[in-house]
Amino acid sequence: MIRYLRTLWRNLLHRDRVDEELDEEIRGYLELTAMEQMQRGLSPEDALHRAHRDLGQIDQVKERVRDIRVGVTLDTLAQDLRYALRTLARSPAFSLVVVLTIALGIAANTAIFTIVDGVLLKPLPYVYPDRLVMLWEGSLTDGTLGTVAPANFFDWRQQGHSFDAMAAVDPHQDAILTGSGEPRRLVGAAVTAEFFPVLGVRMALGRTFLPEEDRPGHNQVVVLSHAVWLNQFGGRPDILGRVLTLNDLPFTVVGVLPRDFSLVSRASDFEARRRFDLWTPLALGSPPPEWQRGTHSLTVLARLKSTVSLAQAQMDLEGVAANLRRLYPADDANRGITAVPMAQHVVVDVRTALITLLAAVGLVLAIACANIANLLLTRAATRRKEIALRVALGASRRRIARQLITESAVLTITGGTLGLLLTWLSLPVLLNYLPADLPRTSEIAVDSRVLFFTSALSLLTGLVFGLVPLFYSRGISATDALKQGSRSVAGGRSRLRGALLVGQVAVALMLLVGAGLMMKSLWRLWGVSPGFHVDHILTAQLSLPPQYANGYSFGTGKHPRIAVFQRELGERVRAIPGVRAASFAAYLPLGGNDNSWAFDIEGRPQRPPGVFDVANYRPVTAGYFETMGIPLRRGRAIDSGDGEDRPLIVVINEAMAREFWGHQDPVGQRLRFGDKTWRTIVGVVGNVHHRGLGISPAAEMYVPYAQVPNVEVHPTLVVRTSTDPETVVRALQRAVADVDPTVPVDQIQTMNELVADSIAQSRFRTTVLLMFAGVALLVAAMGLYGAMSYSVSQRTQEFGVRMAVGASRSAVVRLVLGQAARLVAVGVCLGLAGSVLLSRLIASLLYGVAPFDIGTLAGVSVLLVVVALLASYVPAHRAARADPMNALRWE
Amino acid sequence: MTATPSDLLQGTLDLLILKVLDLEPMHGMGIARRISQVTNDTFAVKAGSLFPALHRLEEAGWLTSSWGESETNRRARFYRLTRTGRKHLQTESQRWERISLAMASALRAT
Repeated sequence: MIRYLRTLWRNLLHRDRVDEELDEEIRGYLELTAMEQMQRGLSPEDALHRAHRDLGQIDQVKERVRDIRVGVTLDTLAQDLRYALRTLARSPAFSLVVVLTIALGIAANTAIFTIVDGVLLKPLPYVYPDRLVMLWEGSLTDGTLGTVAPANFFDWRQQGHSFDAMAAVDPHQDAILTGSGEPRRLVGAAVTAEFFPVLGVRMALGRTFLPEEDRPGHNQVVVLSHAVWLNQFGGRPDILGRVLTLNDLPFTVVGVLPRDFSLVSRASDFEARRRFDLWTPLALGSPPPEWQRGTHSLTVLARLKSTVSLAQAQMDLEGVAANLRRLYPADDANRGITAVPMAQHVVVDVRTALITLLAAVGLVLAIACANIANLLLTRAATRRKEIALRVALGASRRRIARQLITESAVLTITGGTLGLLLTWLSLPVLLNYLPADLPRTSEIAVDSRVLFFTSALSLLTGLVFGLVPLFYSRGISATDALKQGSRSVAGGRSRLRGALLVGQVAVALMLLVGAGLMMKSLWRLWGVSPGFHVDHILTAQLSLPPQYANGYSFGTGKHPRIAVFQRELGERVRAIPGVRAASFAAYLPLGGNDNSWAFDIEGRPQRPPGVFDVANYRPVTAGYFETMGIPLRRGRAIDSGDGEDRPLIVVINEAMAREFWGHQDPVGQRLRFGDKTWRTIVGVVGNVHHRGLGISPAAEMYVPYAQVPNVEVHPTLVVRTSTDPETVVRALQRAVADVDPTVPVDQIQTMNELVADSIAQSRFRTTVLLMFAGVALLVAAMGLYGAMSYSVSQRTQEFGVRMAVGASRSAVVRLVLGQAARLVAVGVCLGLAGSVLLSRLIASLLYGVAPFDIGTLAGVSVLLVVVALLASYVPAHRAARADPMNALRWE
Repeated sequence: MTATPSDLLQGTLDLLILKVLDLEPMHGMGIARRISQVTNDTFAVKAGSLFPALHRLEEAGWLTSSWGESETNRRARFYRLTRTGRKHLQTESQRWERISLAMASALRAT
């Protein structure tokens, strides 16, 4: 082995010396032979001649010796490489197009595949991810899934037999942290003791909750997220055992979560962007009070026993549900229990969009491969002559194959490297633009499998089609090829090239149609009037400390402190220069928060048990409709006279009026919530898109903040300004601090930002699809340009003849364009057929546009045809410039 | 390329070179001359086969070479057997003897 390496070393590095020695050795042999012949009496000339004949050609001998030498393979490789680089440099346009095609194909695929892999395909980042399920209360009438009532969860946990453990999360347990710097609102969740064990979390520090801490009165312990531990407490290890003041109560820190822990969730389950800062025990009563069967606040997670299938668990749960329906008909008469695998549930909103992107990027890769194939095929045809010549000069087929493979490898490896570089550069940018409510984005990382897949595919394409010239050279003798020159092309291969071109055009069209439809629906979405003013509105989230809820009792509508706070702050804010109006709302449209309440209408028959009339519930202060620009349709708005000791009133929206009163006038009618006090409807206002521009407005009832039946301590301040809203931010923060310095202000956003965020998903997928469609169009145009250029160069003589016998230049241009147009026409037809088939896939992603939208189809077809004809025009023009005499002399 | 000798013949040339060098180190010309002598001119070794064979055997580690003075006082490359070369010669000669015996008896038997 060592000797082999030494020889290799010598042969490679001292190649010149080895060659010289060989030369000298052979010359010595020659002289000795000649001398011997002379001794036998031959003349010196004859002797030398003989010796030469005996030796054969010196060079040939040397060549054969060299072939035997170790390292000759590497040597040839270097030679092939040099030759390949020279050849490729001679046609830079071709090389550049191939390299760019490969790079774009690899980069686009790796980027999207990486995202899809991180979000959809990778197992959840927990122990036994395939056994994790989420349990929901399912409505028996319409099948909708809802969050779970604590009392129901308690019974499920006791009566279900299919699970290792069942845990509940209440994701709305934010807390104000005081006593460690500025007061800060921390995003919190309350969980049962089983929660962390169900997910199999290994704490970075300390422990999770003990079962005895998950009881009322013993639950003042807290687990911190890694981020809060680092940012708020400097990552100090002595955090364990420290007592924090949360909502004015002492909580002992018992543990810190690992850095990479997050509760993977569907965007619409929790408020978008929710990253929990702290976790406390849920501490349900044992059993919980019966009124907790009517409040549905929990998200339930469970781990299946290893021996139980999902279907068996579902059967088991049916039994539990039937039992509860029998025992508690008032609340549960209409409820079932539905188990959904967690991995499936968290991506249910984004799955279609991601699969669409994946399909799109696959099509881009297909186009890229077709383009590489086509370019190499075209090139192969032009290189017939060169290869025939080399065969004639004695190159073996293997040697030529090696040369061709080297050439393809240089192209594909360069393209691949560039592609990887592009991926590496573009992925962080792309991740930045990911919609915030896409789940699991923190798990996205370039995966080696992904890279391997795309790289292997483009390498393979390059290698396979790179060898095509070799097949061309088979079966034709060298002299034939040389005689024929490079003009004639085998018809079969030309048809293959045509088919590849048609395919590219068709696929590009499909992508363009997809992008066009998405664009149109995004445009429609932008065009949706949200039902309120978007410009000059600033919003800020306030968190009132818990003492503000003092003096409140359920259903009375008495929140003296909150009302005072809102009145004072409102006055101060309205005094800020540039502020035209200010008011408060508990749930802001497009803010991600919502709440709904069941109600009875006075004078209507009682609904059957388990069936409720439900509408969304919106506590607001006086002037809210004016601030937001929500139009009043009937009656009056909420005004400052609607205080806690005044008659209880409610204002409903048009959707609610239509749903529950039809054409009757609801003003003056009365309704009530769970409490027994009736509220009079005093007005009807316009609809608002609360959950998203693409989602139809639902029934809503606005209640004066001072009259709400329960406590709402997280009001959002809404301010309408006459100037740029950003200019009043500082004054607004100062105003809050003046009223109460312990109230944290966060999420200061303009309404424009909220609207933009609400369509981020749609914008993201539209942008990406548009990029893909652009790449596809570009690649297809490059392919067409390449093919037409080649075709024109092959037919120069024909054009010459045509012009010599009187054809005009424009006739030649028409001839070439006609050829291109035929290919493009076939491609467009196939592409249109394909888009119709594919349209079903993206139908659910569209808003306000039919999947078969004639305008879009026609528009993108025209775009494609124009680009294609432009790409063909340059070669056509070149054909028309051909000098007839030159063309004829060329033969 | 001219018709190459069959593998058997190529093996024969290698074996002959090793055999010849078993006696003493020799340069290319000397090896060719000696092979014609010992085979009674049955094999006239051409340079076109000799040098590739020599270099192949050297790469295989059975020969080493060094520059020396030829009988006419010229610089010439002398080849000598290595230890593994000698071992290889032994096993190859035995194999060859077995084959030729077998071939001979087979041809006689018919």
